[in-house]
Amino acid sequence: MATQKPYSRVVVTGMGVVSPIGNGLAELSQQLFAGVSGIKKIDAPFAEQLSCKLAAQANFDPAAHFSKHTYSMLDRTSQMALHTSIEAVKHAGLSVNETLQPRMGVYLGTGMGGASSVEEGYVRLFKDGASRLKPFTVLMSMNNAAASAIALEFQTTGPNQTFSTACSSSAVAIGEAARAIRHGYADVMLAGGAEALLTFGTIKAWEALRTLADEDQADVSRSCKPFSADRSGLVLGEGAAMLVLESLEHAQARGATIYAELAGYGSANDSGHITQPSVKGQAATMQAALFDADLPPQAIDYINAHGTGTVMNDATETAAIKQVFGGHAYNLSISSSKGAHGHLMGAAGALEAVIALLALNSNTLPPTINLAQPDPACDLDYVPNSAKTLPSLDCVMSNSFAFGGTGAALIFKKYALKN
Amino acid sequence: MSADNKASPSLEEISSVLAKMIADKMEIDLATITPSSNLTELGLDSLDTFDIIFNAEDHFKIKVPNDQVNIETLQDVTALVHKLILSQQK
Repeated sequence: MATQKPYSRVVVTGMGVVSPIGNGLAELSQQLFAGVSGIKKIDAPFAEQLSCKLAAQANFDPAAHFSKHTYSMLDRTSQMALHTSIEAVKHAGLSVNETLQPRMGVYLGTGMGGASSVEEGYVRLFKDGASRLKPFTVLMSMNNAAASAIALEFQTTGPNQTFSTACSSSAVAIGEAARAIRHGYADVMLAGGAEALLTFGTIKAWEALRTLADEDQADVSRSCKPFSADRSGLVLGEGAAMLVLESLEHAQARGATIYAELAGYGSANDSGHITQPSVKGQAATMQAALFDADLPPQAIDYINAHGTGTVMNDATETAAIKQVFGGHAYNLSISSSKGAHGHLMGAAGALEAVIALLALNSNTLPPTINLAQPDPACDLDYVPNSAKTLPSLDCVMSNSFAFGGTGAALIFKKYALKN
Repeated sequence: MSADNKASPSLEEISSVLAKMIADKMEIDLATITPSSNLTELGLDSLDTFDIIFNAEDHFKIKVPNDQVNIETLQDVTALVHKLILSQQK
C-alpha cells in the first residue's frame, strides 16, 4: 500500500433509490419535479389504532428483486439498502472485481436499523407468549445488518461502517465515506442510508413526541407543509438511497460518467436540546461544509433544506441560513422535498443528496410543495409549489439535522477539470 | 402435549415434512431432495439449518436441545426429530 497518498477529489458516479415518490432515478425525477406527493393514509393492519394515520410508504416488493432465501434473512431496511446498492453499482457501470474489492467499502446510515424485525420479535415474545425467537432475529435487527449485506453481495473488504445519528445518519455516512476516499482508505465507497420504521410500535412512539403532521382535511397528500405558516409537523417515510463515490483518479481511469464532485462535508452538533434545533448548531454545520469545500457562501446556488415541516425546524433553519449566507440568503434558492416524500429519517440525507444531484444534473430546482401560507419567520425563496429551472446552477448544498443534535451538510458541485 | 389420540409420525412422514421445508426455504425442487441429501450440498449453511430446526420445533411440538451436533443429511435431522418426538411427547 502506498505510504504517501495525496488527498483525492471525490466524485459521484452512480445512484440507486427507493422512495415514496418513485424507485429508480427516472421515476423519482419525474415525480419530484412534477410536485407529486407520496404521502397517504398508511396501508397497514394497525392503521385504525393510530391517531396519526399518515405515512410515506415506498412501493417496494423484495420478491421482485431477490430470491426468497435472500430476502427472508433481511429486514426491510436491509432489503432496500441492498437493492439500491445494486442499482447504484449498475448505474455507475462499475465492475466490482478482485482488484477493486479490497479498495471498496460501504458506509451506511440508519436511525433504527431492523425496526420491524425487533418489533416482530417483541410481538412473538410478549403478545403471543412464544418461548423462543426466530434464529435470525439478532442478525436482522442489528443496525449494521444492511451494510454487512452489501459487503457480502459485492465481496468488498474495504471499510464497512454504520452511522446512526437519527435524521442525519445517511448524510454523515456519505460525508465520512468521502473522507475515507480523500484520505486514501478506499478508492470507491457505496454510501447512503436506509430506513423502514413504519411499524405499529415505532409510529406510536413518534405520535407521543407530538411532532407528526395533522391530516390535511381537504387532501391528506398535502399534510406536510414545509416553510408554510400552517405547517403542523413531519410525516414518517421509508426508503433507501445509495451513492457510488469514487476518487477522481479511479473514475477517470475507467472512463466513468461523473454526476458531480462531492466538494464539501461538514458536521456539527446543536448541543442545545435533545429535540429542539439551534441556529448555532445548524449554522456551524453549514459553515463547516463551506470550509471543507473551500468555497465562499456566494458559491452556493441552491440548498436542499432539512425542512421537516415542523414549526421549530423550518424557522430555525431559515435563521441559520441567514446567519451563514448573509445577504446571499435572499439570492439563493432553497427547497424542502419532504412535503412530497416525507421524512425518511436515517435515509433522508441520502435521498435528499440524490435529489440535490438530480437538480444539479438537470438545472432544475425541485419545489417545496404545499407552501400556501407564507410565514414571516420563513421569508426566503423556497421554490414554492412548482419546480424552477436555473441554467446557471453549479453548486448545491444538502442539509440534514437531527434529534440528538448532529447536523451534516454536503456540498455537490458540477465537475470541472480545474478546481 | 397433543399426541394423545394419534400415533407419532413415521420416519417417512417426518422426512417428507422436513424436505418440503427445505425445498421451500431454499427454493429448490422437492424431487431433488432425498433422505441422504447433504444439507450443505443443498445450499444450507449453519444458520439455514438452525432455521429448519426452528420450524421443525414448531411443527412437531418438540424442543431441540442446544447441544445437537453431527447434522449433515436430511436423514440426520429426521432421526433427531423422530427421537425427540418419542422422548418428548407425553
